[in-house]
Amino acid sequence: MNTLQLSRLSTDAFNAALFAYIAAMLGYFHFLAFGRKAVWRVASLVAYAGLAAHIGSVVARGFAAGRVPWGNMYEYSSLLSLLVVGGYLLIVEAGFKVKSLGGFALAFSVLTMAIAVTFLYVGPAPLVPALNSYWIKIHVVAAIAGSSLFALGGGVLTILYLVQDRRERSEAAAPPPIMGGSTDVDAPPHFEAGADEPVGATTSRRGLLPPAAVLDRMAYRTIAFAFPIWTFAVIAGAIWAENAWGRYWGWDPKETWSFITWVIYAGYLHARATSGWKGRRAAVIALVGFVSLLVTYYAVNLWIVGLHSYKGF
Amino acid sequence: MSSSSSSSASSKTLRGSVALVWRTLRSMRTALVLLLLIALAAVAGSLVPQAGVSDARIAAMFRDHPFRAELYKRIGLFDVYGSWWFTFLYTLLLVSLAACLLPRTRAMIRNLRARPAPARELDGMRHYAERTISVEPDRAIRRSRRVLRRRLFRVSKSNGDPSIAADKGLAREIGSLMFHWSFFLLLIGIVYGKGTGFTGQAVIVEGGTWTEAHANYDGVIREGSFFNEDHSGVQIHVDSFTATYRPTGQPSDFVTHAELLDPQGNIVKTVDIRVNHPAEIDGVKFFQFGYGWAPVIEVRQDGKLIASGPVVCQQKPPPAGASPLQLPWDCVVKLPSLEPQVGIRFSLWPDSRGLLGLLQTGQAMPMFDVYQPVMTYTAYRGDLLADLPQGLNQLNTAAMKKWTSGTVGAGQTVDLGGGLTVSFPDLKQYTVLEVARDRGLWIVLLAAILVLVGLLPALYSSRRKIWVRAEPNGAGTVLKVGGFALQRTSQFEEEFAKLVDELARASEEKVGAS
Ligand code: HEM
Repeated sequence: MNTLQLSRLSTDAFNAALFAYIAAMLGYFHFLAFGRKAVWRVASLVAYAGLAAHIGSVVARGFAAGRVPWGNMYEYSSLLSLLVVGGYLLIVEAGFKVKSLGGFALAFSVLTMAIAVTFLYVGPAPLVPALNSYWIKIHVVAAIAGSSLFALGGGVLTILYLVQDRRERSEAAAPPPIMGGSTDVDAPPHFEAGADEPVGATTSRRGLLPPAAVLDRMAYRTIAFAFPIWTFAVIAGAIWAENAWGRYWGWDPKETWSFITWVIYAGYLHARATSGWKGRRAAVIALVGFVSLLVTYYAVNLWIVGLHSYKGF
Repeated sequence: MSSSSSSSASSKTLRGSVALVWRTLRSMRTALVLLLLIALAAVAGSLVPQAGVSDARIAAMFRDHPFRAELYKRIGLFDVYGSWWFTFLYTLLLVSLAACLLPRTRAMIRNLRARPAPARELDGMRHYAERTISVEPDRAIRRSRRVLRRRLFRVSKSNGDPSIAADKGLAREIGSLMFHWSFFLLLIGIVYGKGTGFTGQAVIVEGGTWTEAHANYDGVIREGSFFNEDHSGVQIHVDSFTATYRPTGQPSDFVTHAELLDPQGNIVKTVDIRVNHPAEIDGVKFFQFGYGWAPVIEVRQDGKLIASGPVVCQQKPPPAGASPLQLPWDCVVKLPSLEPQVGIRFSLWPDSRGLLGLLQTGQAMPMFDVYQPVMTYTAYRGDLLADLPQGLNQLNTAAMKKWTSGTVGAGQTVDLGGGLTVSFPDLKQYTVLEVARDRGLWIVLLAAILVLVGLLPALYSSRRKIWVRAEPNGAGTVLKVGGFALQRTSQFEEEFAKLVDELARASEEKVGAS
């Protein structure tokens, strides 16, 4: 196969993966809403199929360019979403045995991939000299792996935790809805009326999203998993920078923002061990870290200019 | 109130406030807040242009918003990472860190010397199980001890009591301590390396030799605050420079072919310096940083040579969408000895088809290689204003008049009039190398490795304790096991159940009985 065919194959497989993810995402959300296990099974299967196509796309891209397939923003994005989906399927679904979160992880990947094809696509080409280094290959793999785990833990799981925690709190604060003749006059009327949906539906829906405490623990585990990987990515990046420019740290925007992300997640890990900061406050720090991650990933590459755009030298 | 009692009261309040500061520094909340503040400061540093990285943007800001720029400058926003408040923040963090770590380290050492302490009440523990087995207590304890050891528990000494205390997971605290202490090592490495080192740039034309010494650097050289002028004196001789491009104009390789020489001028090694592949001699490293064209220009006055040599040309940044390969290279030759003084601006086209394309189609063709190079020139006469500061390739024509202009091809000589001729005998390239010495690198690397190695057990292992007691029960024994975990309690539940089974099984096993 020649370069052009490989490149086309990569694009086709990418699109197939994207559509599979969209379908699986809808399936997962359907499962979250209605709790039909068959739908979940199909969604999960489609997600695995999409993952396989996605892996094919990345590999073909690598052969087309004649190098590792992580050399520009389009390729980073593709790999990032691949790892988020893979991480979700293997860690959350197979590991934690939680079924209901697939829609969110897939939504993140679908968004990332859509942005990648729409705004960031470039044809496969060899690396510019500055990126042609052993260390940057290691660095980028670690950075993408760390990012995808942070996105899963600090983004998806943390948001769900906050949502679920809020719901649990408001339920705990309100009187039980089914008990007729509640004497609590302060209770919101829709709770007294049993709201507009049957009680059974409410409980089954609530039952699908794991309890806040479980989500919290999953978010923590995922972030704790990502943190050393990110640390390693920053170190590998510094080694590369030393090799390329003669200084391991120069506070250029990319370096600065990966440092910021790292410090925020170090803050998160501390918050988990600080009384009064556990739970929601720590979760807010994790979310801030997620925002910082997005800035590191998109804004720095696309808008904030530094000493070295990663072109030419 | 007597003066002595009031002074003792004030010393008490002083001691009280010192203790308060110390306690505050030791608290996790302080560490947390300081970490978040440092993140915030770094955000400011990435949004406001920083000196040394975006000088042009700072200058633009002084022009457009002088008041705001002045304010920013006053509070150090143009140099966040060198500002007093950033230094203050991380110093405070390090002090806080030391305040945290000292007691933790002392406790750790005490803990390492001691043995796991016995417990009195096992059945009140979070995890508790009993097994009735058919061997006598002594043997059950002996066997249990062996099982726990094999499972890498630290086990209490046997003191005749039919009981064991054991614990595991000290690696968590050791790793955490190592991780946190390593930041001091990191700081030492950074301060030592930057303090005793230097970085700067060398501009070397093909065929030239450059000696590593303060005076030979191009532009600013950054020398550390403990640097005592011990420049190495090593030399580098540049044979040639090669830049290769792909047909798309994307650069594929930049190589400086050079020899490295010791201070006495003996060739030590021959090297190819590429992006990502620096060369090193005597702790001094050379990094490929940039390159450009240096036409050899000779100026004669009535046949007498008055200026000659390769002139380093520079390129303007290309407009959006254009490749630098489409732009000419600009340089200036100044002739202050003439009366009136003369300054000549040159624009070099390494491939004359680039210029031709521009003239014919309005669009310069990318120049990948040398092909019949040509220079356009414009000469000015008047006063060079040499007293005013101006850059290498800048010509201040405020006090000059345009005199004449034209083109000169490689190998040609043109007559400017007034007995002045300009020749262009040869075209060379120059290479820009970043030159740096950092003796602290290995310390920084070591600290980074320790950070990473400490982090893993600190995050993933967990402290757990187990107590076993064997009480006689008729001919057999009741094995009582209690335990708890400080972290990962849900995982411990499973581990505990398995362990209890194993202890009971091992105690009853026949084979290998003593
Ligand atoms: C240089 C800045 C600091 C960084 C980057 C940092 C980072 C971290 C990280 C990543 C952890 C989680 C790993 C572990 O459990 O050991 C941690 C834990 C911890 N840090 Fe720090 N830290 C810093 C400063 C401090 C300071 C100033 C204190 C003292 C107040 C401190 C006290 C602790 C404690 C007690 C733990 C253990 C928490 C636990 O057991 O869960 N750290 N730190």
